[in-house]
Amino acid sequence: MTSNVVLTTGLALILIGMWGLLTHRNILRIIIAFSLMGTGTHIMTVAIGYVTNGTAPIIDRALNLSEAPVRAVDPIPSALVVTAIVIGLAVTAVMLAYAIRLYQSKKTLSIDAFTESKW
Amino acid sequence: MVSSFLHPLNIFIVGLGGGFLIPLLSRLGKRWVAIAFILSIAAMTLISGFSFLILLQGGPPIDILTGGSTPPYSINLRLGLAEAVFAFGVNLVALFGSAYFVREKYGTMVLYLLVVMGIQGMVMTRDLFNLFVFLEIVSIATYGLLSLQETPAALSATFKYLMATILASTFFLIGTVLLYGATGVLNIDDLIAKSGLIVGPIGFTGLMFLLACLLLELKPFPANGWGLDVYETAHSGVAALISGGVSAGVFFALIKVLPLFKPQLDLIAALGATTFVFSNLLGLQQTKARRLLGYSSIGQMGLLTLAAALLEQSSADEAAFLVIAGLFVNHLFAKVGLFWLAGYLGKERLQDWSALVGPPAAIFVFGILLAALCGFPPFPGFWAKWQLVMNLAASQRYIWIVIVLFGSLLEAAYLFRWFGQILQSSGKTDRLSRSSVALLPIFAMALLLATSGCVAAFLMGLTLWTSIPLIAGLILYLLDRVSGRTKCFGVLALTLVGGIWLIRDLTGISYLFAVLFLGGGLVVSIGCLYRSDKRPGFYPFLAVMLLSLSTLPRATTSLEFFFIWELITLSSYFLILRTREVELHALRYLLFSLFAAFFLLVGFAILHALVGSNSLTALRLPNLNSVPVFVLLAIGLLIKAGAIGVHVWLPGAYAEADDDVSAILSAIISKVPVYGLVVGTYFAIRSEVNLNLAHVLGWIGMLTTLVGAVLAIREDDVKRMLAYSSMSQIGYIIAAVALMSHLGWVTALYLTANHLMVKGILFLVVAALIAQTGKRLLVDLGGLGRSMPLTFVSATIAIVAMSGLPPLTGFGGKWLLLSAMMEKGWYGPAIMTVLATFVGLLYMVRFINVIFLGTRKPAHKRPTEASIALLIPQYLLIAGILLMSFFPKALIDPISEAIDPQFASTLVWQGMSLEMIYGYWNPVPVMAFAVAVSVALFGIFWLLRRTDWFEQLGGRPTPVRLYDSYKPALIIFTPPWATAFWGELATATVTIAERTRRIYSGNGQAYNLYIMYYFTVLYVISGLLLIWGHYPPR
Repeated sequence: MTSNVVLTTGLALILIGMWGLLTHRNILRIIIAFSLMGTGTHIMTVAIGYVTNGTAPIIDRALNLSEAPVRAVDPIPSALVVTAIVIGLAVTAVMLAYAIRLYQSKKTLSIDAFTESKW
Repeated sequence: MVSSFLHPLNIFIVGLGGGFLIPLLSRLGKRWVAIAFILSIAAMTLISGFSFLILLQGGPPIDILTGGSTPPYSINLRLGLAEAVFAFGVNLVALFGSAYFVREKYGTMVLYLLVVMGIQGMVMTRDLFNLFVFLEIVSIATYGLLSLQETPAALSATFKYLMATILASTFFLIGTVLLYGATGVLNIDDLIAKSGLIVGPIGFTGLMFLLACLLLELKPFPANGWGLDVYETAHSGVAALISGGVSAGVFFALIKVLPLFKPQLDLIAALGATTFVFSNLLGLQQTKARRLLGYSSIGQMGLLTLAAALLEQSSADEAAFLVIAGLFVNHLFAKVGLFWLAGYLGKERLQDWSALVGPPAAIFVFGILLAALCGFPPFPGFWAKWQLVMNLAASQRYIWIVIVLFGSLLEAAYLFRWFGQILQSSGKTDRLSRSSVALLPIFAMALLLATSGCVAAFLMGLTLWTSIPLIAGLILYLLDRVSGRTKCFGVLALTLVGGIWLIRDLTGISYLFAVLFLGGGLVVSIGCLYRSDKRPGFYPFLAVMLLSLSTLPRATTSLEFFFIWELITLSSYFLILRTREVELHALRYLLFSLFAAFFLLVGFAILHALVGSNSLTALRLPNLNSVPVFVLLAIGLLIKAGAIGVHVWLPGAYAEADDDVSAILSAIISKVPVYGLVVGTYFAIRSEVNLNLAHVLGWIGMLTTLVGAVLAIREDDVKRMLAYSSMSQIGYIIAAVALMSHLGWVTALYLTANHLMVKGILFLVVAALIAQTGKRLLVDLGGLGRSMPLTFVSATIAIVAMSGLPPLTGFGGKWLLLSAMMEKGWYGPAIMTVLATFVGLLYMVRFINVIFLGTRKPAHKRPTEASIALLIPQYLLIAGILLMSFFPKALIDPISEAIDPQFASTLVWQGMSLEMIYGYWNPVPVMAFAVAVSVALFGIFWLLRRTDWFEQLGGRPTPVRLYDSYKPALIIFTPPWATAFWGELATATVTIAERTRRIYSGNGQAYNLYIMYYFTVLYVISGLLLIWGHYPPR
């Protein structure tokens, strides 16, 4: 019952994000890759709760209680995704803040430059 | 009223409320912020502590339902006993740790508060998405805290940490969503109940993402470089919080969802094992303190993962709880304390921690933390590991036991090497100027470790008297400021009183050994009085060791035995580790002792699995499968005894320890494994195990004797010579025990008593020589007989008693041994006995000849007679030798009685009665003749000396050179195979460690790649396991 197009889009975004964070050396690009991955996850979440041709999960005259499980879009993933988006925002903000600090410390944004601790 | 205030939900109210309040209070002033901060954490601690107490008394788990409805319509949190242990533990640590944050900006305090609250949320929540939220609260707050350290390295490390944990939490979110898609629930309990619904690719993928996140957050090998970097560079208070707190939250989350992963439990355990072993392996090559602690933290998490996964399989709830809680609490307090210590010192290189030797008691606390981490008693890790090994043996998962013990050995290796390095380089670094007040939270951790260890001991049902050695040690520790001699008298008095009380109601062999341990220990320890310095930290361990020795024969269960055994190991290690030169040898001693202990542990575990009881008397039960038990016990005891092949630890430890400690080691502690062997073989024969291995044991004993003797001749260092001589003499005892006959045991006990007295005297003699001349090489000694006549006499008596010359005890011992061997038809060992006796004579004669006779060496200052404190124990021991020599029945009768009562009824050996055996050896005429001959010989010898006949022979090679001539031959006969083998093993281990750790290139992107690999491997193997489970191969 899930929306395959949306679900596939979400998964594709996640994979693009993963590919991006493994291939790009610039920290800002890596952060973008993380954001893409997060967005993909959010889209996937929404897709999981989606019911094809469904309606809003508000029980009223248009949607009575017995019909709700089959006709209404599952509200829980939507609720989850709101939380996840907020968290994603905070995380991105922290990453960007660190990117600024890293740039200040070495005047570069290449991830290869930040290998002080090893072994 | 009270309970509503202390309801666990208030933890979150306090946490969040405090978080909002602190910024407001910051307008009023710094003081207010700090007060609100401390109060908030104290309130959380109080609440969780109160709940913990209630649950401990059997209260039902506290369920918190939000929004007034039940799951799945609401999020619920639960605080059961396990949750309470974790929450309370983390809170306690956070409360003490808050001391390191009160001077920071208010934002830091808010973040700290949020982390602590978030961890408890992770522990308590029963909802998967809620878990995600708490995980993110903890993570984001941690990112903020990590910015406290502003060095470039710390910034880089934090960014790597950020990327890795964001990847992991993305995995979590994906997993949660997919699982929700598959089952339609988010509640963990519902999810477990509906785990049958999690089929097909979506459900499986969801599970794998979830598992990958939790494992990755625990920083598994090899995808953990980011974790190490943060441990190395972060503010130590934050590192402590991550290592103890955040990991605890994640780990508890893993436990909660573990029932979802039934088919993957073995895999999870294997991943945990990999992390445990490799972290500890790589730790060997680490030179930076905090990175080392990072390796250890990660390793401990691996161990916890392994234990959780394996115990989930056997579903032994009670035991699982003890193991998990024990390991967790142990790691939490110890590691947090160590990280704080790192912050207190601010030193990066391992050896720079020698600054710890400065502040009072700091080194003591450091030792406690290390000992706890390595699973030594009485700390909780000891009990947890014991219980874990028992459980694993019960389900016959021996390979896991080997992994756990191997990893533990590696961990002990680098942690105690570190301890040794500190003592070695003490004084080379400048003293700390910081006040010791900052040490208080660290002391609190040590105290908490001790307390929780006692609780664990109580839960395990350990009897109270086993704590006597520790109490005595504690008393002496409190007295550490008084003068050395006073402390020594204190030790002697405590040992006398405590020891007599301990052994008062023992009987049989146990009683005999207890008397030997107590009496011998007391007499030899009198020698410690010859040193007038304070020896800080020496006497507490001496007290622990001496009383443990008296306690050991009291042990009736394998747990008691092992507990005391480890106490002896640990205390003797600290006694050895007194000088700089001894560091390496002390470490070897400790590692081989641990190695031995692990054999015992596995032996006991198998026994426990066979008969379902800890009782040592279970060894007696007729049981066909008990051969492995006896073999394992025997191997462990042989390692500890320093048998051939595993003797490499022995000469260094005996020779480089303090001179009085050498005497205790060789005379007393070397008898501990002998006690184990005697009791073990005694039980073996009672259980009618058909042990052909006795013959092997006999040969091992005789080879040890012969090789020990040859090595002793080669030595030019007096103490090393005596050390090898010890090895050689222990070999005789092993051979006697191996005879497994009545006469054999009588002989073994007789030899044991003899060696105890002889080696006690000789090492004290050497202590006197070194005290008077400052030399210990034979070439530097000579002609001391005239200036130290009393020492000369006692050394001579001891040598005669050891050599087996009539009229003294050694003669009786050899006679008994040969009789017993002939009785058994062991002609080979008998021949070797004769040969070894001859070789032994050579080095013993050399000892007397070179040191006391010959010419005085110019290097000597002006030696005078030894101190009275060294002569008293020598002459007491000589009294013992004389008593045994001329009234052998005085010793043999009680020995015989001790062995007889249980024995005679069950075993008939060749129809020979005791009287007949004693009839073989009627000592009076033999002795009388022998004494006459000896006196005559000695008279001639004395006359020759008076007439300077020896000097007229002059021009002949000096005694030292004389022995040089046949050294090459001796070297050919004793190729250093054992040393080479263990040396190569160590080199190989270190090389593997060095090569492996190159994977931590420091590049954050590489670490991301490792994480992807880790996930892929997890996914593929789990998939294969699943297919395997569905379609098992025929």
